[in-house]
Amino acid sequence: MDYFEKHIRDNKALFDEHRADRAKMWAKIELELSNTEPKVVPLWKSPLFKVAASVVLLLLLSFLIGITVYGSFQQGGQSNVVSQELMDIDMHYSNLVQHQVQLVKDHPDLSQEDKKEFLSFMDELDEEYEVLKLEMQKNLGNERVLEAIIGNYKKRIELIENLLRQINDSKMINDDYGYTL
Amino acid sequence: MKTNIRFTHQELVEKSKLGDRNSQFQLYEQYVDAMYNVSMRMLCSKEDAEDTVQDSFVEAFKNLGNFRYESTFGSWLKRIVINKSINHLKLKRIPLVPIMDHEYHLTDEPIENVADVDIEKVKRGIKKLPPGYQQIIHLYLIEGYDHEEIGEVLGISKSTSKSQYHRAKKKLLEIIKEM
Repeated sequence: MDYFEKHIRDNKALFDEHRADRAKMWAKIELELSNTEPKVVPLWKSPLFKVAASVVLLLLLSFLIGITVYGSFQQGGQSNVVSQELMDIDMHYSNLVQHQVQLVKDHPDLSQEDKKEFLSFMDELDEEYEVLKLEMQKNLGNERVLEAIIGNYKKRIELIENLLRQINDSKMINDDYGYTL
Repeated sequence: MKTNIRFTHQELVEKSKLGDRNSQFQLYEQYVDAMYNVSMRMLCSKEDAEDTVQDSFVEAFKNLGNFRYESTFGSWLKRIVINKSINHLKLKRIPLVPIMDHEYHLTDEPIENVADVDIEKVKRGIKKLPPGYQQIIHLYLIEGYDHEEIGEVLGISKSTSKSQYHRAKKKLLEIIKEM
């Protein structure tokens, strides 16, 4: 930019030598604006709406993905806890039952027939246990199934304990009898 | 950035977008004289300039939703006024650019540097220029457009704008010298 150009631009305000007839011009502008029907932009055509719709869609998708991932994580976590709990209970009771069944099997005062009858009864409870275990795999969160499994074990242990107590009692009577003699 | 010059009158502009007549009036009050002068310089007619400025404000307020602060509101409005003024000149078949008699001159003679000239003399000198030269002098020297913008507005190339401006300025200085 040379000196002449700079001089003009520095003084360009001096070129604004006219004054508009403001009132007259505004009256026409206002009339024109009032006569214009308000421009109706369909909501779906508005860029703002498009942005808002995209954000909502994105949020919805994120929410669904989040729910799915979190849900499966929760379910996985929950099933792990329940499986662990079930395994611990299973281990405890099956050891107990095995030990007591072995005691019955080895008991010298029981006839083979009594042992067989008792063990067949135990087998029935075993079958019931297997059904419950399958049910538990299908529905890990079901407390009633878990309670039924524990109940099954308790019943078996109770039966064994009763049997052993009866054997021991009869043995004691016999011993006492022997002693009085 | 809120302090950016592009956001001048942002509050008034935003309210005007919503159709607030008071805000529209305040914007009008701020810019009407400047816009009227822009149009007067180009059209040299009070009635034509008034019509053009009125139409420009109506168009600006109706299309304010498209204004995204890529420039100041004033620059955006001025562009509307200039485009409307040029359309008016086209309707009247007034040449927007001088006849391209020297289009293929590759070099222009240097213009001697001048000391401070009386602005009144410059104003009178511009009025004595052919219409095409007047437009390019107004757009470059007073409205502050660069040659690319002038090219867009007048529908000519950047280099044509440069060469025509150079000649217009030379002619203007000759006229001033003779005064």
